[in-house]
Amino acid sequence: MAASVPRDVTSYSLGLAAPLALFFLVFFVAPLVQLLVLSLHNDTAGAAWGFGQYVHFLTDPFSLSVLGSTLLLGAEVTALCLVLGFPIAWLYHRVGSRAQTLIILIVLLPLLTSVVVRTFAWIVILGRQGIINATLQSIGVIDTPIRLLYTQLGVVLALAQVQMPLMTLPLITALGRIDSNLEDASCSLGAGSWRTFWKVILPLSLPGVIAGCTLTYAAAITAFITQSLVGGGQMLFMPMYLYQQASTLQNWPFASAISIIFLLAVLAVVSVFGLLGRLSRGYGGA
Amino acid sequence: MMIHRRTLLTTALTLGAMRAFPGLSYAQARPLVFATFTGSWEEAHKAVLVPAFRKANADASIVLDPMLSVDQIAKVNAARANPPIDVMLHDPGPALVAIGQDIVEPFPVEKSTYYKDLITEAQEPMGPAPFFQVVGLTYNPETIKTPPTSWADLWKPEFKGRVGITNLNSTLGTGWLVEVARMHGGSEANVDPGFKALEALKPNLAAVAANPGALATLFQQGQIDISPGNFNAIQILKARGVPVEFVAPKEGAIAFKTTIHVVKNSPNKDLAFKLIEAALSPQVQTTLMNSPYLIVPTNSKVAMGGEIASVLAKDTAELKKKFVFQDWKKINEQRSAWIERFNREIKL
Repeated sequence: MAASVPRDVTSYSLGLAAPLALFFLVFFVAPLVQLLVLSLHNDTAGAAWGFGQYVHFLTDPFSLSVLGSTLLLGAEVTALCLVLGFPIAWLYHRVGSRAQTLIILIVLLPLLTSVVVRTFAWIVILGRQGIINATLQSIGVIDTPIRLLYTQLGVVLALAQVQMPLMTLPLITALGRIDSNLEDASCSLGAGSWRTFWKVILPLSLPGVIAGCTLTYAAAITAFITQSLVGGGQMLFMPMYLYQQASTLQNWPFASAISIIFLLAVLAVVSVFGLLGRLSRGYGGA
Repeated sequence: MMIHRRTLLTTALTLGAMRAFPGLSYAQARPLVFATFTGSWEEAHKAVLVPAFRKANADASIVLDPMLSVDQIAKVNAARANPPIDVMLHDPGPALVAIGQDIVEPFPVEKSTYYKDLITEAQEPMGPAPFFQVVGLTYNPETIKTPPTSWADLWKPEFKGRVGITNLNSTLGTGWLVEVARMHGGSEANVDPGFKALEALKPNLAAVAANPGALATLFQQGQIDISPGNFNAIQILKARGVPVEFVAPKEGAIAFKTTIHVVKNSPNKDLAFKLIEAALSPQVQTTLMNSPYLIVPTNSKVAMGGEIASVLAKDTAELKKKFVFQDWKKINEQRSAWIERFNREIKL
C-alpha cells in the first residue's frame, strides 16, 4: 500500500485516506461481497451454487416489470424536480439578498424534517378528505373525491417534494458560477431571452443539472418509506420487493440477487448521467 | 500517518479471530435480552411484564429489544453460537420458521407452574403462547350506522371505494385471505377461492396498506371506513379519540397465537425461562387484559373482564367457540407463492 510507494506528495494523502478506506472496506465492500456470494445460491439454505436466482429474475416478466416501473418512477420524479427546481434556482440569482435567504430557507426546510413526517403530510394532503379533495369539492369542481393517494401520480408528487433539495442545491451552485456578463453579451449581440437561455445558460448549467439529476434519481428509486406509504401495498417497487423477499419470506439468495441487479441497473443509469456530464463539459469548453 | 503492512495484518487477524471465536469479544455475563414487538407491545411489556419479572427474580437485569419477528430470526441466525437475544416473541408464521431453523429450545414444560393452566391451543412445547392477537372487522361508526356482522359485508355495494386491506406481508393480511378463502369453500391448502373473492372486492377497495400500522392510520384520515383489523391496534386508535369500532364476525374472529421462545445457545436460559413463566402467570395476564393494554389472556385461570369480556368473549369456553385458529404450517408451505400472486393480481 502506501508504504511501498516511493516518496512523493501522494503518499501522504493515501495514508490520510486509509482510515476511511478501511472503514469502507469493512462496512461497505465486505458486505457487498457477502451479498454477491449469497446471491449465487440456488436454494434458500445456501447449499447449492448457481445462477438460478438471476435466471429466475431475468426470465420473469413480473420481476422485470417491477424493475422497469421503478426506473421509470425515478425518471418521472427527476423530470418533475428539474422542471420545478430550475426556475427556483434561476430566480435565486435574480433577487435581492433577503429573498435569497428566504429561497434557501424554503429549499432547505424539507431537509430539516424527517422523511416519515413529510410522507405522512402528503398522505394528509392527498387523502379522500385531504386538502386537495376538500378544496375541489368546496368550490364545486368535483362531486366525489378523486383518487390521489395510492396512485403513481401521488407517489411522483410526494417523492418530488421530498427529493427537491437534492436537485435545487446543485442547480443554485451551478447557476452561480455562470458569469452574468455572458448573458448580457448574448443579449447585446441580438439574442432574445429564450435564445440566451437555450444557447448560453442551459449548456453552462449542465454540470449542475447532471449532478442534481443523479442525486434525485438515486434517492427517488430507493425511497422505501415514501414509496410504500404513498404508493400503498399494491404498488410494488424494487425496495419493497427486496424487503418482501428478505424479511417476510426469508428468501435471502433471491433478495440478494434482486439487490445486485438493482444496484447494477442504478449504476448503469448513473453512468449514463456521468457520460452526459462529460459530453456537457466538452460542449461547455467548445 | 503511515499504514504498515504488519499493523494492517495484525488488525485483520484480530478482527478475524473475534469473528471466529465470538466468546473472546464478549464479557461473561450480559443482561437477559427480550425481543418484543414495537409499539403497544413494547409499552405493555415495559410497564407490566418486566417489573413483574424483576420483582420475582431479585431485580435481575433485563433489556427489551423491540423488533419484528422476522428481524429477530435474522439477528439470531447471524450469530447462532452466541445469540444476541435470549427470548423471542413470534406470530405463528415466523414461530414455525424459527423452529424449523432450529434456533429455539423446547420449553421446559415439566418445570413450569403455569403451562398446564393455559388453554390447550396455547400449550406449545416449543414455546407457549402467553397472548392472543385477534383479527375481526373494524369500522367507522360515524359513517357506518349498521355494524357489520360478517366478512361478506366488505363486498356490499354500499362500501364501494371505502374498504381497506393490507397486503400479504403481514400475518393480518395472510390470515384474513385464508378466512375469505374458507368462506368460499377453500382452506389453508387452497386459497384460490380467496383470490377470486379479492378480484370481486376490487371496486370496493380504497386502499391496500403496506402494513397493519398504515392500515390503522387510514381510519384517522377518513380514507377507509371498514377493514379487517387487529383488536389491539383498534383499541389504541379508540383511546386517541378516533371513531372506530371492532366486531368479531359471525364466521369467527381470527386468533393468532403470539408465542414466546427461549433462544437456542442462550447464555441466560434460566432467566429466560423465568421471564416466560412471568408472562404466563395469571397476575401479569390479568393486568395486561385490562385497559389500556387489552391483550387477550391465554391462562384459563384468568377471568375475562372489561372491554374484552364485552366485545370478544366472557370466558375461555366462549373464546374457543368464537375464535378461529389457523394451520400456519400449511399456510407457510405456500405463502411465498401467494405473496407473488397477490403482487401480480392486485393492482388497483
